[in-house]
Amino acid sequence: MNSGIDLQGSFIQILVDLGLTAEVARVAWLPLPMLLVLVGATLGVLVTTWLERKISAAAQQRIGPEFAGPLGMLIPIADGLKLLVKEDIIPAKADSLLFTLGPAIVVIPVFLSFLIVPFGQNLLITDLGIGIFLWISLSSIAPIGLLMAGYASNNKYSLLGGLRAAAQSISYEIPLALSVVAIAMMSNSLSTIDIVQQQSGYGILGWNVWRQPIGFLIFWIAALAECERLPFDLPEAEEELVAGYQTEYAGIKFGLFYLGSYVNLVLSSLFVSVLYLGGWNFIIPIEVMADWIGVSETTPWLQVITGSLGIIMTLLKAYLLVFLAILLRWTLPRVRIDQLLDLGWKFLLPVSLVNLLLTAALKLTFPVAFGG
Amino acid sequence: MLKFLKQVTDYTKEAVQAARFIGQGLSVTFDHMQRRPITVQYPYEKLIPSERFRGRIHFEFDKCISCEVCVRVCPINLPVVDWEFNKETKKKKLNHYSIDFGVCIFCGNCVEYCPTNCLSMTEEYDLSTYDRHELNFDNVALGRLPYKVTEDPMVQPLRELAYLPKGVLDPHGLPPGSRRAGKLPEEILEEAEGNGAK
Repeated sequence: MNSGIDLQGSFIQILVDLGLTAEVARVAWLPLPMLLVLVGATLGVLVTTWLERKISAAAQQRIGPEFAGPLGMLIPIADGLKLLVKEDIIPAKADSLLFTLGPAIVVIPVFLSFLIVPFGQNLLITDLGIGIFLWISLSSIAPIGLLMAGYASNNKYSLLGGLRAAAQSISYEIPLALSVVAIAMMSNSLSTIDIVQQQSGYGILGWNVWRQPIGFLIFWIAALAECERLPFDLPEAEEELVAGYQTEYAGIKFGLFYLGSYVNLVLSSLFVSVLYLGGWNFIIPIEVMADWIGVSETTPWLQVITGSLGIIMTLLKAYLLVFLAILLRWTLPRVRIDQLLDLGWKFLLPVSLVNLLLTAALKLTFPVAFGG
Repeated sequence: MLKFLKQVTDYTKEAVQAARFIGQGLSVTFDHMQRRPITVQYPYEKLIPSERFRGRIHFEFDKCISCEVCVRVCPINLPVVDWEFNKETKKKKLNHYSIDFGVCIFCGNCVEYCPTNCLSMTEEYDLSTYDRHELNFDNVALGRLPYKVTEDPMVQPLRELAYLPKGVLDPHGLPPGSRRAGKLPEEILEEAEGNGAK
């Protein structure tokens, strides 16, 4: 297995060749990935909000945004600008410190989780040893922020919304983590790179979704619940709770919640595609195709193509899942809070435990197919 | 043990059935995505109001005899009739007449009961203003006729659902001369008269 493109290595090499020391070059490299994460995630959100509006419109036989730019593509930017310039209101009886801290605590972990999303062999920010569990642990910080926002608003709807958000996040975290454990067991690693690596080689047939169909479904349901998407958008159920924990928020703080929820959706879709749909792998393995046309894997132009194809494939899979989430939004009615907790504790939890046991048993019986 | 197994199978069956229903629902929503939007893009396209449409009220100043029937039949006594008695002609002389369309509910009672037919319904319905007092129409404003949707060069007129040919749901791109489903009121009248003559 070749290492593919190494952007960091080449960047530092160029700076060193220009006469800088290796340490300075390394420091110069540092802000680039951070900026890339921020810009990339925000761009992803802009695309997602546009898709949400357009797909929702199509599902309801409407047209959707049309006049802001071609096909209304500038509408997310108009949205964002509107939220930026609106007045930032802190209610008089609210706890202003917690009120301000809430959205930040919700948003920052979501952006941090982008550190471990791989778009190619070396196209990720850090290949951490704990890998996927960084995401699991970071995503459990978000309910604290939601609860904080709900409590600090000093509003019964906000408090109820915050409590619901916390209850929901905590109960769906467990099946989510358990289905990730099953994947980690098959990959013998928590690193996202290794997880994708273990799925590559057989093209579409090697993807984890065939070995973990139950895990895939549980993960997707739990991820939707974690993102508070319909049918699990109880914390913001507008018919009951006005807007849940967001009720008292306006301007950019509301924008942060909005951004956070969409980044979370994109992130969850990315993780589903990484964990279950072969990440950056094409339907047919690149090595096989390179063999067919008789090109060595280490050819520079082939590596560039492989790299860009990896990014395109990851995004394509992720956005297919985003599409599915939006379609689900207009298909399913919202569940009640008791149904939600029933589904989480009485269905997803036992089924994911059975899935884990089954994976362990299969791993012992067929070590070849299940990563012995 | 057997009872437990039965419970498990029942539960699984239910889960599978739920999944199937969700799939069914998804296919319905997915199918809707390929249908044409039925949006009427309002300032550029407008629906043609039906014959019975109850829009802004039109008032003919010269026909009015200041009888105040419109005020009496109005649920909230809305029309303001300002008249004085002319002693020489021994008739009421109308000075001003106004209706506040910010309060009017467009029930049409005044139009129905006006003895001289000086009140009538128009097709105008876009009455939005920046100040609610602008909706208080005096006799001059009440005497203006609105633009007909079909004659406005800025507007693409679209037929309402009941005026579309049978089976058509989308008013966009109808072939010219396409008839609405069923008979036209004139045709029904003509037929009835024909039968009566026999």
